[in-house]
Amino acid sequence: MKLAELERYFASAATSGSGPLPDLERIFVGSDQLSAKDRLAIYNRGYFYRLLDALASVFGQTKRLLGDADFERLGLAYVAQYPSEHPAVERIGRAFPAYLRGVHAPATIVDVASLEWARLCALVAANPRSVATVHAIEPGLFPQARLRFVPSLHWLELDPRALSAFAGEAPARAAQATADPPGPLLGVAVWRNQHAVRHEALDASEWTALVCAAGGGTLSEVCSAFASESAADDVHRAFQVLSNWFAKQWLEQIEYGEARRISD
Amino acid sequence: MHRAADPQQALNALPSARSASAVACVGFGLRVPHYDAILSHGLRSDFAEAISENFLGRGGRAFSVLERVRSDMPVALHGVSLSIGGMEPLANTYLEELSELARRISAFSVSDHLCFGTFGGHYAHDLWPLPYTEEALVHVAERVQKVQDRLGRRLLLENVSSYVAYRASTLTEWEFLSEVVTRADAGILLDLNNVFVSANNHGFSALSYLRALPRERVRQIHLAGHSDAGGYLFDDHGSAVSDAVWQLYEQSLELFGALPTIVEWDERLPELSVLEAEAAHARALSNARLTARHEAEP
Repeated sequence: MKLAELERYFASAATSGSGPLPDLERIFVGSDQLSAKDRLAIYNRGYFYRLLDALASVFGQTKRLLGDADFERLGLAYVAQYPSEHPAVERIGRAFPAYLRGVHAPATIVDVASLEWARLCALVAANPRSVATVHAIEPGLFPQARLRFVPSLHWLELDPRALSAFAGEAPARAAQATADPPGPLLGVAVWRNQHAVRHEALDASEWTALVCAAGGGTLSEVCSAFASESAADDVHRAFQVLSNWFAKQWLEQIEYGEARRISD
Repeated sequence: MHRAADPQQALNALPSARSASAVACVGFGLRVPHYDAILSHGLRSDFAEAISENFLGRGGRAFSVLERVRSDMPVALHGVSLSIGGMEPLANTYLEELSELARRISAFSVSDHLCFGTFGGHYAHDLWPLPYTEEALVHVAERVQKVQDRLGRRLLLENVSSYVAYRASTLTEWEFLSEVVTRADAGILLDLNNVFVSANNHGFSALSYLRALPRERVRQIHLAGHSDAGGYLFDDHGSAVSDAVWQLYEQSLELFGALPTIVEWDERLPELSVLEAEAAHARALSNARLTARHEAEP
C-alpha cells in the first residue's frame, strides 16, 4: 500500500465512531500480548476522549447543566460529526451550540453553550493594536465617525435564563427553568479586559446601538438608537453608553473616514 | 541554577548544538494551570518550552505569560499540529503565524513531531505513527525542508511514542528518524520517555535506539512520565519521570553530552514546585556529567 492509503486507513481506524475497523492485522503488526485491533483501539479511544476533554474544558457550565452522562453522549456524537478544523484543539467546539440546538437540547442550555463559546473567543482573541480613549474624539467630525471594536468583543442574543444558569444556578432549578417557555431574548456583550473575560447584559437601546456600530453605522446613526420622546434624556443616555464603551476598553479606534484616521 | 538577567545573554549561553556547554540548561513546559503563578512570581528555570498552538495569533493572558517568561529566559517553541508526515498540504496560515511568533520571541528553537495528525482536512490532535518506508522518507524530508525554508531556521523533530507498527515498514524507527534529519538537514529533539515507551511496546532496545542516532543531530532532550496500562506502556505525561527513564537520561548524557532538557507534564498536573524538583534532578545529572567531562580533559 502507498503512504496515502496507509494514512487513510489509519485515520479511518482511529476516528471510526464504531471502533477500529476489522481486518487490521493485515496492515498493522500485533503481538500475542496485544493484537493489532487492541493497539488501534488505543488511538481510537485517545482520539475521541482527547476531543471530549477539550470540549469539556470550554463548555464547563454546559456540561454541568447537561450532566456528565449526557455531555459525554452528546459530546462524542458531536466530535464524530464535526472533526477539528483548527490547529488549536479547544476550537473543536465551534459548532457545538448549533449541534445542541439541532438535537433539541433545552434552549437555555444551548444559550449557555453559546455564551461559553463567545467567552472562549474573547479569551483567545488577539490583543488590540490600540485602545481608543475619549481624547480621540474630534467634536466636529464626531457625527460621521465610525467605531472599530477590539478583537475580543463579541455580542450575542440569549435567553435571559442562560445568564443565571451560567452563573451556577442549581441544576434542578435550571432544568425547571428550561422547561418554561422562553421569554424575549437579551443582548449580551462578551469581552476581555486585561486577562479576565467578562460578559454583561445590555438594555434594548444599548444593544441596538452596539449592533449598529458594529455593522459600520456612523455615530449619528448609533445615537439614534437612544431616540425617545425626550431629547435631553436621549443625549444623556447616548453620552452615558458611549462613555462606558470607552471606559470598558471596547474601542480600538475611532475612524473618521478614508481621508483621516485618528487613533489613540 | 543558571539565570541570566539579559534574555539574549541567556540565549547565547544555551548550547545550540551538541558542543560541550559550561552549564546545564534544564526547564519545563508552560501549562495553563500554572499561568497565574508564573505571572505572579515568574519561573525558576534555565529556559522554558511553549506549545506553539497555545500562543499562535493570541493575546491576553497567554501572550502575557509568554512575554513575562521571555523577559527572563529563552523560550523554545514546540508544536503538535504541523503534521509533518501528513498528506494534506502544509498549512500556510499556521506556518506564517509560527514564523511570526518565532521571530517575535526570538525562539530558542522550533520543533514538532515526526508523525502525522491530519486527515481529510481535519486535525486529529494526536501524534499518529508513520510507516517507515522509503516513500514516507522522501515525503517527510521534502516537507521538513519546506518548513525550514518558510521558517528560515532548522526544525527539530521529536520521536513519538507509539502503540502500533505498520507491516509495510522497511526501516526501523531510529533508521527512519536518522535518515529524515540527515536528508533534510534538521535536528532531533530526543524524547527519552517516548523511546522507552515505544521500546517496551514494540520490543526493541532503547539504548540501541540511542546509539544508532547521528550524535551531531541530537539537539534537545525531553523527559516525561508514563503509566503502565497493563499490556503496554502509555505515554500520558501524568507522573514523575520513571527511574528507567532517568537511567536512559544518564546514558544519553554519556552519548550526546549535556543538552538543553525539558521536563514535560500534562495530565494530573502538579504544582510548579514539583516540576522544579524534576528539573533540578535533571540539572544535577547534567552538571555531574559536565563536571566529569571537565575533569577528564587534559
